[in-house]
Amino acid sequence: MNLDYLWHGFAVALTTQNLIIGFIGCFVGTLVGALPAIGPINGIALLLPIAYTMGLPAESTMILLAAIYCGAEYGGRISSILLNVPGDAGAVMTAMDGYPMAKQGRAGEALAISGISSFFGGIFGTIGLALFAPILSGLAIGFGPAEYFVLMVFAFATLGSMVGSQPAKTLIGCAIGLVLATVGLDPTSGAYRFTFDQPELSEGIEFVVLVIGLFSISEALIILENEGRGITVIRELGRMTARMSDLVKCTGATMRASVIGFIVGVLPGTGASVSSAISYTTEKRLSDTEGTFGKGDVRGLAAPEAANNATACGAFVPMLTLGVPGSGTTAVMLGALMLYNIQPGPMLLTERPEIVGGLVASMFVGNFILLALNLPLVQIFARVLTVPNWLLVPGILVLSVVGVYSTNSSIFSVFLMMGIGMVGWLLRKAGFDMAPIILGFVLGQITEVNLRNALAISGGDVSILFSSTICIVLWILAAAVAILPAYLARRARRRALQAA
Amino acid sequence: MSEHHEPSHRSMRLIGRATAACLLLFALAYGLVATAIDYAFASDPLGPRVFPLGLAAMLALLSVWYFFSPGPAEGYPSGRLLLRVLGIPLVMLAAVALFEPAGFLVSTFVLTFGTALIFGAPPFKALLGAVGQAVLWWFVFSYVLEVYLPAGALFGH
Repeated sequence: MNLDYLWHGFAVALTTQNLIIGFIGCFVGTLVGALPAIGPINGIALLLPIAYTMGLPAESTMILLAAIYCGAEYGGRISSILLNVPGDAGAVMTAMDGYPMAKQGRAGEALAISGISSFFGGIFGTIGLALFAPILSGLAIGFGPAEYFVLMVFAFATLGSMVGSQPAKTLIGCAIGLVLATVGLDPTSGAYRFTFDQPELSEGIEFVVLVIGLFSISEALIILENEGRGITVIRELGRMTARMSDLVKCTGATMRASVIGFIVGVLPGTGASVSSAISYTTEKRLSDTEGTFGKGDVRGLAAPEAANNATACGAFVPMLTLGVPGSGTTAVMLGALMLYNIQPGPMLLTERPEIVGGLVASMFVGNFILLALNLPLVQIFARVLTVPNWLLVPGILVLSVVGVYSTNSSIFSVFLMMGIGMVGWLLRKAGFDMAPIILGFVLGQITEVNLRNALAISGGDVSILFSSTICIVLWILAAAVAILPAYLARRARRRALQAA
Repeated sequence: MSEHHEPSHRSMRLIGRATAACLLLFALAYGLVATAIDYAFASDPLGPRVFPLGLAAMLALLSVWYFFSPGPAEGYPSGRLLLRVLGIPLVMLAAVALFEPAGFLVSTFVLTFGTALIFGAPPFKALLGAVGQAVLWWFVFSYVLEVYLPAGALFGH
């Protein structure tokens, strides 16, 4: 196996600039993960335009965004343990045993144990990513337009499981994203589509405008609505280090959960919420002989934390090798690559090894930074939970406005962002998830261009979409992933409910 | 808290149906505009119209499916909470309108002061917070990150 890209990547990741960027990303990531109000997508969406405007090279921006993503998976546990409110979706199960531990006066220990298991999950996931990425992109190098189009169909099929219970809404979200991607100049024919003679729309809707509108603006409104729902912070942290006996007790759980987390992460469409639920229920079934799970068992705390960190790393495998994002967060990172005019896909590893290698290497480094940040400095992050919303939300809004304005100095874009934010809020209240919209938008142009190129090659004969073995395998896989993860997620959720 | 009720099954269905109807209208309008896309030449058999038309049809069909099985929704706020929620985009609108003519500092002050009040901050604290945020962000963006921001008429060019 050729791992040259990785050694090259370490040279990229260990430059002073990228180390500083990685550190900032880890810090911000832990912060946005810890705050129940904002999740990793918000953190990434708000910092992406600033990184881009500052003229950071693509690999540095990706290092920053990946550090935020991984950091958020660490940070999410802090509010799960201290508030019983998960900081992000992957930390829901962490509260099951983390919060009872905190109530027993063992919050500090819970934070330390979960920090260490997060580290093991993260390192395991990164090793998996480093080994898997070259294999998968090697398989996909022979793809033509027809294969690409079917691959995109496969990507959309995976969506069904992202918001498993309501497939109509997921698919509508996806269609909305595809619709928004058609705005602007059509690259093949030179026709202007849906621009309504607005010069600002001739290049299409900007990715940053859409992401910040859908996530940050609508989030601000939702934070306001959910205010005052009786949350109390546990301030007595107690002993801040983990007991050796507890760490030994969790070893098996951490290892099993890392494997489960990574595999779930690689499967497109299933995220940290699914992997942490599966690993928690697995541990409960295997080890809960005395009925201590749910009452502050360290194994029930370590398993979901290892799993969600391994999942965050695994989610990069399809994104970096196939150009197919497995989650909302990786969809935003894919959009970030496209902002730099970099076409994601199987050629990325051979054409831009510094990006893939730099990213993977930075995740190794990042996990060590995160461990260091999250063990001794956890008290600082815990204090952040007490920042009032009236100070936090205006800050998010300022970052949103400046982020959008700074990419092209256009006030039109800022108004467009606000409009998109309002529509996003309406849709979220109606039960829609925003991630499918982003996914549809990011993959929209690639889908259309490849479909049209494939049909141009065949002279309009649609059988080209079923002609190669790869196409047929992808069609079958698409059908399988549309059904399977939704079924697994439902089963895991039912088990989790029984466990609680 | 008292303003925030869990929506009833009926109101969830109503929200779902209303959203589905709006989406259906949007799909039809989008399809209509797509039929009128003007182009002189296309190098592929599909051309620039077919893909959007396909999307319009897909979105329309999905909206009909959604209309008949709306599923759970969160429901919209009502009363005072709704006014507060709508206050945020209004404050933003004012702040963004001021962004270029009055400059970053004034606009940010309006935005942070207004939203802090909506979030229930005591006026004096909100004032301090807003002045602090305006100056802090100006410093961070202009001097640390070197992002261009309009200074506005008040603070020169």
